[in-house]
Amino acid sequence: MSDLVSMASYPEPSPTTSVVRLRTTQRLFSTIEGVFHEEVFFLILSVFIGIFSGLAVVCFRLAIDWMHLALLGPLPETHSWRLFAVPSLAGLVVAVLVLHVFPGIRGSGVNQTKAALYIFNGYIPFRTAVGKFICAAIAIGSGQSLGPEDPSLQIGASIASALGRQLEISREKLRLMAPVGAAAGLAAAFNAPISAVLFVIEEVIGRWSAGILGSVVLSAVSSVVIVRWFLGSEPLFRIPVTTFKRPTELIAYAVLGIVGGLASVAFAKSIGYLRPRLKGLPRWTQYFQPAFAGLLLGLIAFLGAPQIMGAGYDAMDQAMHGQYAWKVLAILAVLKIVATTFSFVSGTPGGMFAPTLFIGAMLGGAVGDIERMFFPHLTGSTGTYVLVGMGVLFAGFLRVPMTSVFMVLEVSGNYEIVVPVIVANTFSYLVSRSLQSVPIFDLLTRQDGLILPSLEEEREEAILRVEDAMLPVPAIILNSEDSVDANARRIESSNDPAFLVRMRSSGWSTITREQLQRLAHEGKGEVTLASVLPSQTVPSLYPDLSLDSALRYVNNYALIPVVNRANLLKLEGVISSESVFQKYGTRSKQD
Amino acid sequence: MSWRLPKLVPRSAPVILLVLTLAAATGFAAVGHLVARYNANQQSRGRKLYAQGVADTSAGRYDEAIAAFRAALTCEPTNSQYQLSLARALRDSNDPRRLDEAESYLVALWQRSPQDAAVNLALARVAAHRGSIEDATRYYHNAMYGVWNSDPDSNRSKARIELIQFLLKKGATANAEAELMALSTSLPPDPATHLKAARLFAEAQDYSGALAQYREVLHLDPSNSAALVGAGEAAYNAGNYAVAQHYLQEALNRNPQDANARQLLATTELIVRTNPFRSHLSDVERNRRIVSAFSQAEKRLTECAQQTGVDLNASAASASSPLVGLQSRWTATKPELDRLRSPAETDLPDTIMDVVFQIEQETASVCGQPQALDLALFLISQKREAAIQ
Repeated sequence: MSDLVSMASYPEPSPTTSVVRLRTTQRLFSTIEGVFHEEVFFLILSVFIGIFSGLAVVCFRLAIDWMHLALLGPLPETHSWRLFAVPSLAGLVVAVLVLHVFPGIRGSGVNQTKAALYIFNGYIPFRTAVGKFICAAIAIGSGQSLGPEDPSLQIGASIASALGRQLEISREKLRLMAPVGAAAGLAAAFNAPISAVLFVIEEVIGRWSAGILGSVVLSAVSSVVIVRWFLGSEPLFRIPVTTFKRPTELIAYAVLGIVGGLASVAFAKSIGYLRPRLKGLPRWTQYFQPAFAGLLLGLIAFLGAPQIMGAGYDAMDQAMHGQYAWKVLAILAVLKIVATTFSFVSGTPGGMFAPTLFIGAMLGGAVGDIERMFFPHLTGSTGTYVLVGMGVLFAGFLRVPMTSVFMVLEVSGNYEIVVPVIVANTFSYLVSRSLQSVPIFDLLTRQDGLILPSLEEEREEAILRVEDAMLPVPAIILNSEDSVDANARRIESSNDPAFLVRMRSSGWSTITREQLQRLAHEGKGEVTLASVLPSQTVPSLYPDLSLDSALRYVNNYALIPVVNRANLLKLEGVISSESVFQKYGTRSKQD
Repeated sequence: MSWRLPKLVPRSAPVILLVLTLAAATGFAAVGHLVARYNANQQSRGRKLYAQGVADTSAGRYDEAIAAFRAALTCEPTNSQYQLSLARALRDSNDPRRLDEAESYLVALWQRSPQDAAVNLALARVAAHRGSIEDATRYYHNAMYGVWNSDPDSNRSKARIELIQFLLKKGATANAEAELMALSTSLPPDPATHLKAARLFAEAQDYSGALAQYREVLHLDPSNSAALVGAGEAAYNAGNYAVAQHYLQEALNRNPQDANARQLLATTELIVRTNPFRSHLSDVERNRRIVSAFSQAEKRLTECAQQTGVDLNASAASASSPLVGLQSRWTATKPELDRLRSPAETDLPDTIMDVVFQIEQETASVCGQPQALDLALFLISQKREAAIQ
């Protein structure tokens, strides 16, 4: 204040040109600052996250390709010594890197992103991105049976997290940075933005809101644009003609869904069983676990099934075009389950998205071919069953039913198979859920000692609603236009401690027996009840609202009216704090 | 690994966005450079693998060729030439399961450039492998009217010839003949192409068309022995024995070792010598030939009856063999021979020769292919109209 007084005491000096320029710049900056409030800034930042993630994923894919060419050559031949030597030697290198340089890169990128969201305030070390990039490129390039999508997802999440920390954005937004980056990474890896957005919403964030959705979509789309710019817009597979003619054929797809569900359970259980056991072995064995996995899958490849190496997109493409007989398809599906299980549980960095698609593709082709052997009138081609099979495993193993449907649609670009995909995926999901209660991502998290919210469990959780705690419409409803005495006489016959008061128009208020009797004793018996009640009315609730939303009111009001959404004057019942807590108590006993 | 920029600039939104934009542009340029170098290496590797695939294809090692083309495509996934070559190798590998994959590559290429003749031709061949006349015809036509990179006329004719061969193989003779008609008007002046066309005409049993094409070959290359034999054969099959005799004689003069031409010429000469319907014959000569043919028919009938154990003297009403009826007819017709000299009996030669032809045709179906004079009479019976001409 003293400074202001002193400044006012003296005439203002005439500004020089440089000062005027500085002030103009400052005004411009403050105007621009005003435009970029946090929500808008976060959306723009999402685009940059997408761009950086896209660039990183492009480099990651080149690194994998380069590794593959350098280690296995352009034309891997069956019975070549490279097939079993390279994955095992690369496994040794990866083990050393994981144990000594990048210890944080073991495990699923999805879970690490979820952990960042729910536990670590959006923090994912940038070292994780570097480690995942290097180790996953070596592992996948050397033929380990893992895919590049999960590492891409984590690279995107790490970049986003690092960017958010660097820019010192709010903690609330920083938490969301990782999922936004994850969507960008996954979209770039799959070249499928819709599936990536859905996956992140369905599996990582678990809720829909305009702010999150906008950011996730922007990052996913911008990363896909970057990938397509550099690597072209060729789809992952050349999609054959797929047809769905007769509704009765849905039975065949349902059978595929059931078989896929069983395979998903077998795959998930084998990982769930072996992973903690291998992790529990002495530390020195961890140097050799990836090498052992490499040796095993190298041996499988050496003996005649090199298709199981790496992500396996080429083999999926060939399966889609009927290149394999059903026996080969079935064997490849089983071998891929074995190879991926060992590659993953050994701690080798890499994802399970591509192997899941591979197993589903092979299984779908095999089941389709067998079904057509017995029922030659089935019109679905092998390619159709392969595509549906991919979605089936995605739904059953990863337990993301919505993403699985859109994944197949986006990859195939064919809307005609949507019905078979939905039917098969639903069966697969139901079979998997009934035989394996904990989804694979939650299982892995729990094995790592983290308790992250299970989004599937949250989805399935029974929600308590207002109607569950609702009491019947009270026998006595007071009228605000009647006098205090008249209302006091009405409650004489009742033992209720509190009463609902109908206010003029559609409002409601409450009054306790004591309050009403006190007003009568104070000599206010002749005045209307409305004149002595507080002007603020009691909020009305609706029967379908979650009971959680009623909690914020029940301590402030003795009774809360529950009204009909279509007719606000129609009282459906009331709730009180006792009825609400009683309902929660009942539920907790049930749980 | 800490990752934190020093706070050199104020953390205001415009500055941050400016820095991010610069960082993105730098990253874009760096990755662009990296991708360009990577692509260059991949293209070089792809070319080598493609060359290997082409060599394997030429040597008929389709499995190796397919592997090489696949590897080349992993280097350059969008290269149309690699895709086309892989599709061709898949198609030609004689594995029906690979046709789907070949087709999917080709359909993708076709969607990109539907006017590409090479792609249409490859698709036509896939359709031909599948035996689909409709699809094959459509794609062959697309190829004929599509854009060829080199020598369009010759390639178009070859595509049509291939279509005709496919149609003939599938028994769609009418479609093949329509294509042959179109082909004959658009052939380039190339003896080999005309020769191929002539053979297709012959295969479609259009012997006049075949003869015309052989003549075209001989016009372009008068010393073409294959065309001489072909022309003779076409004329022979068309019943144009005098022309056949000319070409076959010429062919034998050029290549006396040609047994097929020699045998055809012998039969042709026999036909020419014995054909009573040949123009410009005197009545005496014609009657002599009719009598000789009538006598030969009786011999053939008797031999055939002996061969099959049929009693020609059995009652015609009770006998089941048609040979008995023919014997009766022959016996009934024999007295007519004496009236041949009468100028009033204009229909008599035809009546007598009808008996002869019936005997030759019936005995051919009962006792097998005739020989020598019987063969000549049998052929005359088949090509009577042409023989008269």
